[in-house]
Amino acid sequence: MSAMVKPLPVQEAYEDLLQRSLSRIPCDLGRLLYLASTRDYNTGNYHHDGLADRFSLKVARSALEIAHRQSFYKVAALSLEDLVRDLAAYLESSRENPEEFLRTWQRLEPYRIAIPMEVNPTVARLFASNVRLALAVLRLRRESSHSDR
Amino acid sequence: MIGMWGALAGGVVLLLVLLAWVQAEALSKDSHSDWGASGQEQGDRAESCSLEIVSQVFSARDSKFISGLESPGLENLFRRERTAVALHWVQETSAFIGKIMRRHLEASRLSADLEIAVEARIFLRYARLKLYCGILFVLIGLLGPQRLAGTALYAERFIQRIGEGLVEFQLAAQLRERDGSESP
Repeated sequence: MSAMVKPLPVQEAYEDLLQRSLSRIPCDLGRLLYLASTRDYNTGNYHHDGLADRFSLKVARSALEIAHRQSFYKVAALSLEDLVRDLAAYLESSRENPEEFLRTWQRLEPYRIAIPMEVNPTVARLFASNVRLALAVLRLRRESSHSDR
Repeated sequence: MIGMWGALAGGVVLLLVLLAWVQAEALSKDSHSDWGASGQEQGDRAESCSLEIVSQVFSARDSKFISGLESPGLENLFRRERTAVALHWVQETSAFIGKIMRRHLEASRLSADLEIAVEARIFLRYARLKLYCGILFVLIGLLGPQRLAGTALYAERFIQRIGEGLVEFQLAAQLRERDGSESP
């Protein structure tokens, strides 16, 4: 997916997005969820005020779409061990209560919104399945650390 | 006597294969079967499933990681989840092969200079791939995906090659058709 050809202004907007916004997010899953959050739920169009001001609405939209797709494939291809580590980093950066976080993610499955449109269905399944497994691993670790105390 | 034992063994094997098939079917239609289905017909690969992703689905590394956690519940969950994803990949791949073949037949029908030997070779390849998918489907149900990584990667590489070949064939057929209609 990294070999995706981007027209020049889109390439510039994409690099700007990487440098200004995405580099500040400490984990792959966080970057993916951030990019998914720039997509309108109703229309599927991406929007980022700063990027649209610096480039154009259309260019910003394309850059966000490409970044989202690349970020998604990166997370989907992570080994389970790496995904567990990444999810733990995301949980820590969220500063939420870990118990509540794990319970909500297991019940509501909010990570489903991170799947881009028209993605290969097997990749989408693998991603969702891996996140479910990673959540189960984190829960198990928490339970065993509680029982050790 | 040997004939009777042979028939009995054959019957047991057949029963096991049928059981594996039923189990695999049930797993592939689990509660998360809605993934990626919206607006997409099976076999419609919006993007190819890269070799990296296929190796991830059939990864033994993930299996080892889960085994290391020594939780039978988690191991069961992992087996169920990965088997469901692997079976979905086989079904999607099988549907994709069918679609490629249909397109090929449509292109062949328009072609003026059909070569029977070439067509027969393509049909045999198609049949072999379909058979692979059927065998993989049963074996995944029986053994789990982790032991079948090599076969799955082979199938995916083969499909990608056939897909590329078919695109070239279709382009050539379209060019020939255009040239034919332009010539006086």
